[in-house]
Amino acid sequence: MSTENMASTKKVKHPGRFSQTFIYLGKLFRMFLFQNDWKVLPMAAIISGLVAFVVGGNLYKTMEGTMTGAFALACVCIWNGFFNSIQVICRERPIVKREHRSGLHVSSYVAAHMIYQAFLCAAQAAITLFVCINLKVTIPGESLITRWPVVDIGITLFLVTYCADMLALLVSSIARTTTAAMTVMPFLLIVQLLFSGGFFNLPQQAMPLTNLTATKWGLTALCIQGDYNSLPMVSIWNSAVKLKNVEVEGEKPLLEVLSYIEENNRRDELLMMSAQQNQKPEYTFDKSLLIECWIWLAFWTIVYIVVAVVLLEFIDKDKR
Amino acid sequence: MLHNIGENTNYLSQTIIYLLAVIGCWKIFVKCGVKPFWAIIPFAREYHLGLCADREEDGRRYAILSVITNVIGGFSGLFKTDDIRVTATLLILLLIFIIPTMIYEFRVYMGLIAMFGRSKKWILLFVFFEAPTIFAWGMLKRFVPKRKVTDYAGLTEAKTLDEDVSHDDDGLTVNINERTAIDFFKRKVLLKDIHMSIPKGHMVLLLGGSGAGKTTYLNAVTGYEKANASIKLGNDDVYKDYSKMLYDIGFVPQQDLMRGNDTVALTLSDAATLRLPSSVHLFDRMKRVNEVLEQFGLTAVKNNLVEKLSGGQRKRLSIAMEFISDPSLFILDEPDSGLDGVVARGLFEKLRAIADEGKIVIVITHTPDRVIDLFDDVIVLAKDAKRTGRLAWYGPVKEAYEFFGKSTMEEILLSINQKEEGGEGRADEFVEKFADYMKERVG
Repeated sequence: MSTENMASTKKVKHPGRFSQTFIYLGKLFRMFLFQNDWKVLPMAAIISGLVAFVVGGNLYKTMEGTMTGAFALACVCIWNGFFNSIQVICRERPIVKREHRSGLHVSSYVAAHMIYQAFLCAAQAAITLFVCINLKVTIPGESLITRWPVVDIGITLFLVTYCADMLALLVSSIARTTTAAMTVMPFLLIVQLLFSGGFFNLPQQAMPLTNLTATKWGLTALCIQGDYNSLPMVSIWNSAVKLKNVEVEGEKPLLEVLSYIEENNRRDELLMMSAQQNQKPEYTFDKSLLIECWIWLAFWTIVYIVVAVVLLEFIDKDKR
Repeated sequence: MLHNIGENTNYLSQTIIYLLAVIGCWKIFVKCGVKPFWAIIPFAREYHLGLCADREEDGRRYAILSVITNVIGGFSGLFKTDDIRVTATLLILLLIFIIPTMIYEFRVYMGLIAMFGRSKKWILLFVFFEAPTIFAWGMLKRFVPKRKVTDYAGLTEAKTLDEDVSHDDDGLTVNINERTAIDFFKRKVLLKDIHMSIPKGHMVLLLGGSGAGKTTYLNAVTGYEKANASIKLGNDDVYKDYSKMLYDIGFVPQQDLMRGNDTVALTLSDAATLRLPSSVHLFDRMKRVNEVLEQFGLTAVKNNLVEKLSGGQRKRLSIAMEFISDPSLFILDEPDSGLDGVVARGLFEKLRAIADEGKIVIVITHTPDRVIDLFDDVIVLAKDAKRTGRLAWYGPVKEAYEFFGKSTMEEILLSINQKEEGGEGRADEFVEKFADYMKERVG
């Protein structure tokens, strides 16, 4: 086509949002190869390996181990998600501004990032699961949604990672520089960890705030999937064992009781009784509860995306 | 009773401190040429202190932060509670805002000390004995600022043309009445009374000192930042048909804003896909990409990563990205920045060739004289007495020399620059002269 012909048709129709999404998706996958974005995948393997090594032993075996392990897994997902996208927009903000001036649709740009990040998050969730399974971390035997428990766990890991990823994308769309984004990130990370709602004891007034965090819904989902309420609780037993030599009026009553329980093979029964007193209704092995967690994660993901798109629409207002 | 006496003394000392600060600020504002009544108005006082210190932005932030800090402080005073959580939250909030308030206060006073030409040690007195120090600076005659704050609003503006130029069916017709912006509740006129008609095939130099409104003018012309104006490219209204005109106007920014880790060919190919109409077939698009690569001398490096290109190659790629859609109006903001003379000359020759194809090419450059022979016309923008960007000349290059009585573009620039910028400060004279010249021509 000659220049003249193009000039005559150039006011007709230009690539819409759908076509633009694919153009940017192509760019992002090229960046994956050429700009070392692929490094987040081996990083995910290293982090999940460390976590599985440290806290994987008691995951889905005891209540305490499940709580600690599920929290650590949720943290791995948050960490992965944050690092995937915290710099992706702010590092090329002037370029986006230039392209917006030349007809870029912000929604297409964000959509391309969403698809690309979904690919990264899915890969990271798969890697995390692969590492955990290979490091002999217990995977629940029963599933709630699909036929395979590992797939259910994988979906949860993906949703938590993706939710954190989109939150980081939102931060990246607000921050003017990578330094600003990296300054905000630890603060967000601390909020996510503190307000998980399960691991740290929070005052009752602060509990509604936990609904804002992906860690809360991730931790809850992982505990539901591991049937937390059916697991034994060992902390009371362990504490009692530590106190076995405490003497009361020249005798060691705790040692006697513990010996009696051991001799009569009633330890497991006691552990289960102890667990019954500490069951949490929100961790019941129930399909609707798990779906609720997933919906919350999806909800926050959508909120972050919508806000990011709206804020990026104002990119032209950036100071020169 | 003792308690009451203590309270009364406290109120009295606070009132004295407040009065000292107000009187001191009043006098300082008089010395600095700021309306003194601002000293009475809390928070506006902080902003105007910033003006006196020649740190308007810091003064603005200081004022805003002072408002927030006082609101939180007042809130904590009103709602006294025994709940440690509420108290702690308010305390943390207060700390969050008090720290930056103090920092900006510090910056404003440092600016004030510099403006009054005093030793930096004074900052200690400003921090620890703020009110008496302000009072002393206001009352004592030996504390005098180096220069006064200029109230541009009170100055008389240069004569205006106030008449639109007639529309050119082929070229670019610019009739900007005014381009304003609201900045911290103040309306600023950035550009005013700019009228011209640029024929197609012309390569135009956009000349102007720092802050004269060159980029504002270009943004207004391209419709990126709309002004109170009528901009027509051929028969199309740039503002009304902005979404369509977007692709008919190429704007090359000063920085090379491209992704470094993509190849030259793919960068250009993506630009082509984004900017060319959807109806253009893939084959034609690739043909166009190859043509443009060839035209800009990038074929040999088409498979190289953008970050590996030289400064000149990168600049050419940046231009090629806009040129790919074959725009009628081509605007370049300092395309020769960072390039040596030979490379810059080569680049401008390419732009001349583009203009010769029937395009309008408008270029900002800070070193115009080395390539001035390639330009047809020159637009000279100047800051008038009110610091508004005004048109001091639009027309052929040779006539510009006669109009300004100078022999180089740099001399023209010096003549219109303000005196504090090292120029001759004749902007208003030429703005009025050009308005008269245009009136004669427009009739």
